[in-house]
Amino acid sequence: MITRRECVAPGFWCVGFRAPRIAGAVRAAQYVAIDQPGRFAVRLPLGIWTAEGDEITVLFREWGERTAQLAHSDIGTAVDLIGPLGNDFTIPARGARATIVAGGLGVVPFWLLGKRLLAADVQTRVVLGARTAALLVGAAELRALGLNVELCTDDGTAGTRGSVLDALDSEPPADIVYGCGPPNMLRALSKRCVAANMPCEISMEETFGCSMGTCWGCVVPVRRGAKQGSGYPKAHAESRDFDYSRVCFDGTVYAAADLVWSA
Amino acid sequence: MTELARERIDPTTRIGKSELKNFVIAASGCYNRGAEFGRVTDVSAYGAITLKSVTLQPRLGNGMPRVLPAPAGLLNAIGLQGPGIEHFLAHDAPHLREVQTAVIASVAGFSVAEFAEVAARMDGLPNVVAIELDVSCPNVDREGECFAANPESTADVVRAVKARVRLPVIAKLTPNVTDVKPIARAAESAGADAISLINAVRGMAIDVARSQPWLANVSGGLTGPAIRPIAVLAVWEAAQAVRIPIIGMGGIETGRDALEFVLAGASAVAIGTANFRNPDVAALVADALVDAAAERGLTSVRALVGSANPSFAGERSH
Ligand SMILES: Cc1cc2nc3c(=O)[nH]c(=O)nc-3n(C[C@H](O)[C@H](O)[C@H](O)COP(=O)(O)OP(=O)(O)OC[C@H]3O[C@@H](n4cnc5c(N)ncnc54)[C@H](O)[C@@H]3O)c2cc1C
Ligand SMILES: Cc1cc2nc3c(=O)[nH]c(=O)nc-3n(C[C@H](O)[C@H](O)[C@H](O)COP(=O)(O)O)c2cc1C
Ligand code: FES
Repeated sequence: MITRRECVAPGFWCVGFRAPRIAGAVRAAQYVAIDQPGRFAVRLPLGIWTAEGDEITVLFREWGERTAQLAHSDIGTAVDLIGPLGNDFTIPARGARATIVAGGLGVVPFWLLGKRLLAADVQTRVVLGARTAALLVGAAELRALGLNVELCTDDGTAGTRGSVLDALDSEPPADIVYGCGPPNMLRALSKRCVAANMPCEISMEETFGCSMGTCWGCVVPVRRGAKQGSGYPKAHAESRDFDYSRVCFDGTVYAAADLVWSA
Repeated sequence: MTELARERIDPTTRIGKSELKNFVIAASGCYNRGAEFGRVTDVSAYGAITLKSVTLQPRLGNGMPRVLPAPAGLLNAIGLQGPGIEHFLAHDAPHLREVQTAVIASVAGFSVAEFAEVAARMDGLPNVVAIELDVSCPNVDREGECFAANPESTADVVRAVKARVRLPVIAKLTPNVTDVKPIARAAESAGADAISLINAVRGMAIDVARSQPWLANVSGGLTGPAIRPIAVLAVWEAAQAVRIPIIGMGGIETGRDALEFVLAGASAVAIGTANFRNPDVAALVADALVDAAAERGLTSVRALVGSANPSFAGERSH
């Protein structure tokens, strides 16, 4: 059931659900598959933003029909949630240094992760970027947890002008980097971390069909032999030398070193 | 007519010599072995689950994107990503024992010989009660023409497989033809024990923001409620053309939807896309079919088969 609904920026919404079981079990980067009334054939996957008490929230943009309907549903509307689905991030040892890099709505997994890292005494730096100030969401909620959040925008309308990757150069390397955001940003972040031999975990996104791991519609290319891949052998006549992994079931979190960006 | 108690209704059906505990089957390519959906529902509500189609060689499948939600449907072009029969037998087949219901193996191929080879190696696996042939693939020996678009090609595949297997054989037909009847008849004459239809309806979408096809494969297959009327007509026509049992599918989400197929002449129904929205759909549909028989004073769900179709050619049960 929808418990709250707030427009956080033009076109961006935060919607809450009463979901005690999910709120109690969720870990960072996990998502819910949402079924709402209407002529939709498949569920809408959304990352879980916050979880407190019996309530979880999602933070999303009005992309198409399903997100538009959710954004404009009344409080009290019954929706069916499956979750929490997907794997989660690795938490480093006490005292380690972590850097979180988020682009736009890529901030979503990091409220739960930030909370967890703070509880684990991991020194955490958050770099949050977007094209322009209007697309920057979630910073206040992360700061409210006690996280140190640096902002940057491509056009300089908020925080430092430049990309989240520039911010990586300004400080000594972290023990682990976490990333979520648009594909181009993730590709660059991934390559940079792999080249610098810095552990990096990325939460990936693809268009989902089933959200359950059975349709094979949501795959990303991974290194052959990666444990999250299908493990199917290579066909004789196949020139592509990578494997595919189901983001919905085997992900969404991957070690940057396992992802193949050239496919 | 008096309404009968639900417990007195026979819910079973038959595909060739195999009996299924109810009319409801999970469609190929949508359910794996049931383990994933087993996290959230009781997979044994299905009378059988159909495995994803297995090919001779491993296949990496199509590039991304592979799916797009469409109005009341899903557009997909997965490209038969799969392990190939060798890896399937070594790594997947041993787990078939764990499936909590009957299993229908599905075979896809790009030549008659490939179908026969893979089907022969599926025959006799644990829990497997029938073999379905996904003849909607391109035939490399006939310039890539889809097997199921041609009665002779369909018959060639069925005949070659029948010569190699003991289990009942189901020919799965495509709606992407002008007339499904001659193809259904060809499958029956070649010895098919049942036919299933429909497979996905061909379609595509253009990414208007980037002015290019949305799917990496350009074209794909549409499934879900959007295709249901197409599927009901295909079942209706096939049921007038052949006597063998028909497994009807395409957009079934509710008991009422399934009843349309049964009344048109389907001796079983399969559900694919609707699992993605409602994982409990099998129990819902199976119960509703029993209720429909009870309301009509019938003692079996089978007695409903074809009862809306005056030219139903199959076996009537009373
Ligand atoms: C694990 C996971 C977590 C996610 N978490 C979040 C989240 O926290 N917040 C969030 O905002 N989103 C999130 N998403 C993304 C969201 O699920 C998708 O954007 C989803 O497709 C939106 O559904 P919709 O029905 O609103 O739009 P859809 O109808 O599915 O459309 C999706 C996008 O494609 C575009 N599109 C569709 N058809 C065409 C076409 N023919 N030409 C051009 N463009 C087209 C639409 O304009 C839209 O931008 C997540 C996705 C995944 C897989
Ligand atoms: C993602 C996806 C993958 C599919 N893969 C196969 C397949 O491998 N073999 C096959 O015979 N049919 C396949 N199908 C077709 C379904 O088995 C079924 O015929 C079709 O989806 C219509 O039923 P529905 O509307 O209930 O989904 C697939 C369908 C979907 C949605
Ligand atoms: S969305 Fe179906 S396998 Fe991931």
